[in-house]
Amino acid sequence: MEERNISEQESLRLIQEMIGKAKDNYHESGASAILWGAVIGTCGLVSFAELQWNFSIGFDIWFLILAAIIPGVWFNIRDSKRSIVKTHEEVAVDIAWSVFGISITCLVIYVNVIPALSERFFASEHLELLSHNTVTGETKPYRPSTLSITSVFLIIYAFPTLITGWLSKFKPMIIGAIACYCFFVISLFTSFKYDMLLSGLAGIGNWLIPGLILNKRHRKAKSAHV
Amino acid sequence: MFKDLDPILHSQLRLAVMSLLISVKEAEFTFLKEKTNSTAGNLSVQIQKLKDAGYIDVVKQFKNNYPQTICKITSLGVTAFEEYVKNLQAYLGANK
Repeated sequence: MEERNISEQESLRLIQEMIGKAKDNYHESGASAILWGAVIGTCGLVSFAELQWNFSIGFDIWFLILAAIIPGVWFNIRDSKRSIVKTHEEVAVDIAWSVFGISITCLVIYVNVIPALSERFFASEHLELLSHNTVTGETKPYRPSTLSITSVFLIIYAFPTLITGWLSKFKPMIIGAIACYCFFVISLFTSFKYDMLLSGLAGIGNWLIPGLILNKRHRKAKSAHV
Repeated sequence: MFKDLDPILHSQLRLAVMSLLISVKEAEFTFLKEKTNSTAGNLSVQIQKLKDAGYIDVVKQFKNNYPQTICKITSLGVTAFEEYVKNLQAYLGANK
């Protein structure tokens, strides 16, 4: 291609051709998807086999997830370095998966922290949860894992807010979502009453304040166009 | 009465570069060279003209000890491109 003036028809054809060429450039190696699919698939199937055939491999297979984080990050950095173009689609996909990663990490923390904290909470009330087999009559200690369900809601609240804020570079939403993740961590250690307080604060920080800022900007832009 | 087409954009190579950059977040010099099938020297000159007009940002850095040039369209560039396409459509519509 050379530097020369062109006709209007040529201009239009050129624009269409170049936009088409740029769109055809999305190449994803699939390495991350293969890694995570293999790891989660293996963990699920091994756990199922342990329960089904009553044996133990001697360690918690789900710790493989932690081991897979390092190669996962390496694949992402390598793909990013190899790429000679960054499309808007790639940026959006990267952000969505990053937020997914943050949320999954929070859920892993939740699953590991809540049963122990619940046990401690019941112990402080001089209570112990037991499971009783009505056929064999066997009674065993029961580890609860369903307490502090508000924490899970806090992760879900932050998910769309962080994606929206990150994609649109809207700081109030990014700050609101980060606050929400912080509230999630705090809510693991607080009682239901304070979880409700944190939920309220999350709603205000996550949506109400960013919403009011957006509304103010919208009204300002609208009045400027009148 | 038609508005004149922006002379910065109404040239084959510069328009090709702007059309590529409006479709992506950012692109390396090598990507632009490959897609426009142009020579490095000619492309450098046209990129500099677009930069001088404020239509694109150019960042020069090193990647694995090799120089790397990354180009990105600016908001002024987006506005100019949209205006160019609007004027082009008006012109072509009137000549149908």
